[in-house]
Amino acid sequence: MVPAASLRNAWVKFGQFTAIQDISLEIEAGAFYSILGPSGCGKSTLLRLVSDLIPPASGDVSIFGKTTEAARLAREFAFVFQDAALLPWRTALENVELPLEMGRSRGIQIPVSDKSPMELLELVGLKGREHALPHELSGGMRQRVAIARALVCKPKLLLMDEPFGALDEMTRDHLNLQLLKVWEETGVTILFVTHSIPEAVFLGQKVLMLKAHPGRLHEIVDIDLPYPRTTEVRDTAEFTRYSAYLRKLLEAC
Amino acid sequence: MTAVDETLGMPMDDDAAEKALARRARLTAVATPVLTAIGLIATWEIGVRAFGVPSYIAPSPSEVATTLVTEFPQLMRNFWPTLFESVLGFVVGNVAAVLIAVAFVHSRMVERAFFPIAVFINTIPILAIAPILVLIFGAGLTAKVVIAALICFFPTLVNMVRGLQSVSPQALELARILSATKSEVFWKIRLPSSLPFLFSALKIAATTCVIGAIVGEWVGADVGLGALIIDATFNFRSALLYATVFLSSGLSVLMFAAVSIAERMIVRW
Repeated sequence: MVPAASLRNAWVKFGQFTAIQDISLEIEAGAFYSILGPSGCGKSTLLRLVSDLIPPASGDVSIFGKTTEAARLAREFAFVFQDAALLPWRTALENVELPLEMGRSRGIQIPVSDKSPMELLELVGLKGREHALPHELSGGMRQRVAIARALVCKPKLLLMDEPFGALDEMTRDHLNLQLLKVWEETGVTILFVTHSIPEAVFLGQKVLMLKAHPGRLHEIVDIDLPYPRTTEVRDTAEFTRYSAYLRKLLEAC
Repeated sequence: MTAVDETLGMPMDDDAAEKALARRARLTAVATPVLTAIGLIATWEIGVRAFGVPSYIAPSPSEVATTLVTEFPQLMRNFWPTLFESVLGFVVGNVAAVLIAVAFVHSRMVERAFFPIAVFINTIPILAIAPILVLIFGAGLTAKVVIAALICFFPTLVNMVRGLQSVSPQALELARILSATKSEVFWKIRLPSSLPFLFSALKIAATTCVIGAIVGEWVGADVGLGALIIDATFNFRSALLYATVFLSSGLSVLMFAAVSIAERMIVRW
């Protein structure tokens, strides 16, 4: 099976500064990866590298066997930013439809999800708020609109850069459950950057632990907790064991 | 049913009380400046009468009001040309500013070449440049429109450039991930996000374009509020002068209100 993303000896440099040092990695298609690491470990840079926002200084990055540029033009991946990055003058529905309008004049083939923008908003629990402007929505709702927007072109890979980082814990827990539902329903591969250990364990099948200064891969931890995961998973001994293990890894970084 | 009505009735009462409070707060907000203005006008009226100030030095408010009514046809005859010049100048000046702002954002070269010139033109006092423009364009409509346009131009240019650059970096990253073309980014992201900035500038221009038109009329015109101001001053018709000034400010308020209403309808976010 073709990996969703594969990095071979990838380096990223900003001038003299090395942001990512020699990462080789294969992302299994359909899996849910959490990416964890201290600040400055290049978590966000890794997502930006995969999404063709920044080029590698050396090494190879491919997505489903294509170059990152080809994958971008084919809309194989979508990105969810830390702040929802919605256009404030567009309603929730119009924001979800944005990807269908962009890139048209370049003549690219835009894949469309089997679910309509309306149904995608329903999937993320925003039925009835389709015509609200972003400033009329809470932070959690805005982030859900951003997720629906990411799904509208039926991506095979979803890159999420601390999407719930700015939300309160209750909202975050709720959105975590909803994201798992979306993942199970769509079969999309997810790379999820977070700085919360419980969030990383709760969501991911695997946790990629990165190390800082310079950013490099430290360890890949398999999280053997069954899906569908519910909030009760957090109270199990295994959950605590994984959390403790990751915390120890993080402290050693 | 009665139980439901009662439970619904309780918050309704709270609601009504809250609404009454809000209404009173709104009333106070309106009443305070209105009462202050009435007080000041009354003081003026009493002062003029008590000290026997001759009408050609300072007319009483009642005299100005009377003139507004009796001279209404003459005032309106001069109002329309000024309104026309102001609106035309407003349109020309702002369209030029927006187009040049787009060129600036599109090419740093163009900005480097022309921005210092724009700043230089802006530093020339409008009163100094008005006679030059009247010499060039003659005493007709064109000179006034150009002067009104010139006075609108700079604030809109500066604000529009800022507005077009105000796009969040994440929105631009999103556009890149969506493989958007430059023109898609412009029409769907840059232009809409510049609108709040544009309207701030248009509100400034709404009042300054009237000043431009009036200054233009001072220098050379036989109709318009500016011409009437000069005429009334030289003939010591102070009440007419005050009435004209009042009408000029009314014109500015009208322009400002029009832009504000347009803003509220367009910028809903």
